[in-house]
Amino acid sequence: MDLPNKNNYTQPVRRIRTLYGFLIILFIIFAVRLFYLQVIRYDYYKSEALNDQQKQYLIPATRGTISAKSGDTTMPLVLNQQLYLLFADPSYIKKPAELANKLTPIIGGDANKYESLMKTKNTRYVVLGKKLTKQQKIQIDKLKSPGLGIVEQNFRIYPQGTLAAQLLGFVDDEGNGKYGVEQYLNKALKGKDGRLKAITDANGVPLAASNSNIKKTPTNGDSVLLTIDLAMQQRLETILAEGVKNSKAPAASALIIDANSGAVRAMANYPTYDPAKYYEVEDGEVFNNATVAHPIEIGSSMKPLTTAAGLNAGAYRANTTYFDPASWTVNDFKITNIEEDGGAGNRSVSDILNLSLNTGATWELMQMGGGQINEKARNTWHDYMTKHFMFGRPTGIEQGYEATGVVPSPEDNGAGINLTYANTSFGQAMTATPIQLAAATASIVNGGKYYKPYLVESRTDINGKKHYTKTKQVKGDVVSSKVSDEMIPMLQNVVNNKNFAKKFDQNAYMVGGKTGTAQIAKPGGGYYEDRFNGTYAGFVGNEKPQFVIVVFVFRPTIGGYAGSAAALPIFGNLAHMLIDESYVNPKQN
Amino acid sequence: MTYSSSLASNRSRYRVRNQNTIKYQTQTKVLGPVSNTIILLVLGCLLMLLYLSQVTKTNAFGYQINNLQKEQSSLQAEHDDLEVSSARLQSMNRAQTSTVAKGMVSVAPSATVRN
Repeated sequence: MDLPNKNNYTQPVRRIRTLYGFLIILFIIFAVRLFYLQVIRYDYYKSEALNDQQKQYLIPATRGTISAKSGDTTMPLVLNQQLYLLFADPSYIKKPAELANKLTPIIGGDANKYESLMKTKNTRYVVLGKKLTKQQKIQIDKLKSPGLGIVEQNFRIYPQGTLAAQLLGFVDDEGNGKYGVEQYLNKALKGKDGRLKAITDANGVPLAASNSNIKKTPTNGDSVLLTIDLAMQQRLETILAEGVKNSKAPAASALIIDANSGAVRAMANYPTYDPAKYYEVEDGEVFNNATVAHPIEIGSSMKPLTTAAGLNAGAYRANTTYFDPASWTVNDFKITNIEEDGGAGNRSVSDILNLSLNTGATWELMQMGGGQINEKARNTWHDYMTKHFMFGRPTGIEQGYEATGVVPSPEDNGAGINLTYANTSFGQAMTATPIQLAAATASIVNGGKYYKPYLVESRTDINGKKHYTKTKQVKGDVVSSKVSDEMIPMLQNVVNNKNFAKKFDQNAYMVGGKTGTAQIAKPGGGYYEDRFNGTYAGFVGNEKPQFVIVVFVFRPTIGGYAGSAAALPIFGNLAHMLIDESYVNPKQN
Repeated sequence: MTYSSSLASNRSRYRVRNQNTIKYQTQTKVLGPVSNTIILLVLGCLLMLLYLSQVTKTNAFGYQINNLQKEQSSLQAEHDDLEVSSARLQSMNRAQTSTVAKGMVSVAPSATVRN
């Protein structure tokens, strides 16, 4: 019997060992590769995987609403509503004319316009309609037309229409507030968007079991309650529009503020616009709230302030009389009385306001300098204009684009500074906005307190906590209470001597004020001879002034002095409105 | 003395006398490695099933949450629509142009009564 050759069975063993060796090497290669992929490149592959599985959503914050009171009732001025935007992809639309005819009965508008939009070349997106309702969306869905798309959008809705449009402002397509309160309080109204980062299923529904989901809840914007009275606002807008029509002016502004707190009760401009259709406005100027953004030379409405400053500075007394020569020559330029009647003669301080004497206001400035316009007079008057009446600086009212106006420096610039300052004493060569003039006028009839004008009564945050705006007294001694008490009858006297369509019962109410007619400056220097702005600053109250009214009428063409012919009737109607509608009650004593 | 302790003392007595005795030996049954592995695998599978059922249940809640959120949004939109309609119906313009308002007359005071 042959014994098996030793080599015959060692051969397969060697082969098996070699195979094992290969397998082990292969295993090591796999292990090393897996180690590289799963350990060394862990972060990279994890993020790659999550990018595919994880989706990020923005959870938009709801913008805060804006309301105002009408009597005791709070009524919304700006709300949010989910509406729909209709768009088309022209490349998918086979029969644009037919589709346009089907759309017109649903969304209104012009079929030809829709047809031409749907025929637009080199674009995949044309907007056919904005702010469509849910019912319109359902009807469009029923058309089942390929190429039409609808997206949900949150829009600002204005239930009061154009009421208070310019003080509200609007919200653009990017969700940012523009002009008015919307711009000034954009951050507070907008809130903070939330976000959701989650692993989702094929339909995009977040899987709740994923522990890598991140959810940040949105913080909704604050709701704002304004100080304005809606009924008063409505009446002011109507009266202003009528006044503009009567005075044949292109534009006007008016406002009513609380004389004893600075709270704005009504504020409007004409012409105005519909904030819901801001995108249809052609002249961007109409967006501006001119009562805070359009400074002009205020004319003789400045004279009560000049008079009060001189009285407070001790330059003269309320019963002082002087000889008015009917003209003063300052820096070789003759200052005369262009408004009303004002020949030479003995005049009282009260006459300066009553007859609206430019020469009288110049005399008051001279008295501040000890009898002539000099550095002392300029510095004193500049101090009153900027640090007492707060001209040349923003009031800080909650409005976008507030203008500061201009007050010339009292420094001698070698270019007729005395003449410039003489002009400022009767409201030329300086500019101010209606809100600045209103706050300043209030300060000389309310006992001498300058209150910061404000429009926001309170803000309610997401937790329902109300934050009230505190009345801010910027300066407590604009003029003394004695001077303030002297100014009130002088301004009442001016009203009594003016031709209001309907007289005021000064025994029952307290109505005072002053007109202003200012020449309009030419862009290159100098003034137009035939172009004027009309202004009026006055007050209404009972035992004490309650409301201050300021009216600016820009370039009226009715003839006569702009202040008396255009601004005064509007003031008169507004003052009567406050009395007739019981915003001001008669005196008790 | 208990019954079991008396039996034990009897047994030791017989051994001492060298008599035939019955040897009592405790036999323990030990599972083999294969059985152990199978049991472990089964337990692992059960745990996996438990985990999967919980994950599925949680995800089902996710869908429920999603549906509820949609419903909430829809109700919120409806609420907003109603709020807008209500505000429009109460608007100053509407009140001013209403038939009731048109029938009203001015009540501007013609005289002032003092207390």
